[in-house]
Amino acid sequence: MRPVAIVGAGMIPFGRRDDDNLMDLLAYASLNALDDAGLGDKGVDSVYVANMGAGMLNHQMSVASALVDRLSLMPAAAEAIENGPASGASAIKNGLLAVASGYYDVVLVVGGEKMRDVSGWRATDFVASMTHPTAEYIYGITLPGMAGMFTRLYMEKYGVTREHLVQVAIKNQEMGALNPYAHVESRITHEGIVDSWHSRVNNPPVADPLHLYDVCPVSDGAAAVILAPLDMAKKFKKTPVVIAGFGQATDTHSLQERQDPTDLKAVTLASQQALAMAKLTPSDISVAELHDAFTILEIAESEHVGFFPKGQGAQAVIDGKTKLGGQIPINVSGGLKARGHPVGATGVAQVVDLVWQLRHELPEGRQVKNAQTGLSVNFGGFGNNVVSFVLRRGE
Amino acid sequence: MMKQQINIVAYQCKACGKVHFPFHDRCLSCKGREFDEIKPQGNAKLITFSQIFNLPWGFDNRFIFVGVAEFENGVKAMGQITANDPGELKLGMTVKPTWGVVRVIGGEDVYGLIYKPIQ
Ligand SMILES: [Zn+2]
Repeated sequence: MRPVAIVGAGMIPFGRRDDDNLMDLLAYASLNALDDAGLGDKGVDSVYVANMGAGMLNHQMSVASALVDRLSLMPAAAEAIENGPASGASAIKNGLLAVASGYYDVVLVVGGEKMRDVSGWRATDFVASMTHPTAEYIYGITLPGMAGMFTRLYMEKYGVTREHLVQVAIKNQEMGALNPYAHVESRITHEGIVDSWHSRVNNPPVADPLHLYDVCPVSDGAAAVILAPLDMAKKFKKTPVVIAGFGQATDTHSLQERQDPTDLKAVTLASQQALAMAKLTPSDISVAELHDAFTILEIAESEHVGFFPKGQGAQAVIDGKTKLGGQIPINVSGGLKARGHPVGATGVAQVVDLVWQLRHELPEGRQVKNAQTGLSVNFGGFGNNVVSFVLRRGE
Repeated sequence: MMKQQINIVAYQCKACGKVHFPFHDRCLSCKGREFDEIKPQGNAKLITFSQIFNLPWGFDNRFIFVGVAEFENGVKAMGQITANDPGELKLGMTVKPTWGVVRVIGGEDVYGLIYKPIQ
């Protein structure tokens, strides 16, 4: 296996993009990544498209074939990868393996989702279709509902409080306000979402004990990377970012069948594999993008990855350890909470944000000083399929 | 309406005794492929729950309560819960399982577990 680098990265602003269809989103992000790599009018060997819902949300199938046509990339190999909300990182993993094996040299991976084509009801139902059809889905359980049940247990076991969750939301929206690609670009105040009389209207419960501001928005968006063997990376114009490690693990479909439902085993395993492959430990990581579809997940993942011991992730937020300039800056992009969560795009967007960090391309106020290593966690289902990467700044 | 029976089948591994719900083709503990079908028994203990407001397509309610509970013979299952406020529920409390319509999908009633809190 040969080392693989990310030699191009691109994104489009996430949010409600009424004028663009799914193919537009995928095409624009891909072009941004191709241009970033300086590929000009050159082609690629293979294309991996991460997408979860084209069939259900946009009534379109075979989006990878449609995309190579839009981009005039024929006769490149092309396929779509559907792996729930972990589709993005799954697609990068597949591209990585294809280049590492020596089979392909230059690979485009793009993730995108067009979720605002349908009503909020339908989007919620679409995401809920990941749950077990007869043991869970029929009850009206939603992903926020799953997260609510998980939060209640996490609070009981580790003493996490609503205040801890609120601080994650405030931190991530503060960073999102600085990110031109973020869906939610407004800051929130403690008063506005907790203390004031109007916080009951602004921040109602969505899936008790989670409130509106604990939950990521439903977004349209896309992000893309170009992969190439590290020994070819000099041919491209930007500082390469090496995929130093990756890991992936699965867990039971139903939360109730986990011996300890607060234990996100797949997060631990995937991140441990990624760190071991990179020969690094959690304390070696400069910056992390964790899958905060719900505020509780940022805290829980920060512990499961090993940045903090179990039960200490919540206090770490209060102590500012996860802020820019802290011990381990988490979700400097604003995370899913502020960047948004177009499900197929998220895993790729996390990696794009880390690439920008490791190239030191971000403006002051967002750039982690001298960042050398990054870690991502892309969390599928309710933790039943998790992919993690460790990235390292190349020469 | 006629009182409905709890129409759930759980699966106990013949080799190691592990109880599964829902069905798996191989035991989650020992990979055994043979199971005895068992019925959930008695009342159940509430493991966790959430009051869900933003409901998926197909629900007219303002909110529903959904939770997971463990029966006396070890079967764990999700179900809706009859409640109006989270304050009425406590982790570890006893709930009585009933069977009723939990959702309408494509015009058809779908039946499932509905837990009723008892102190
Ligand atoms: Zn067994």
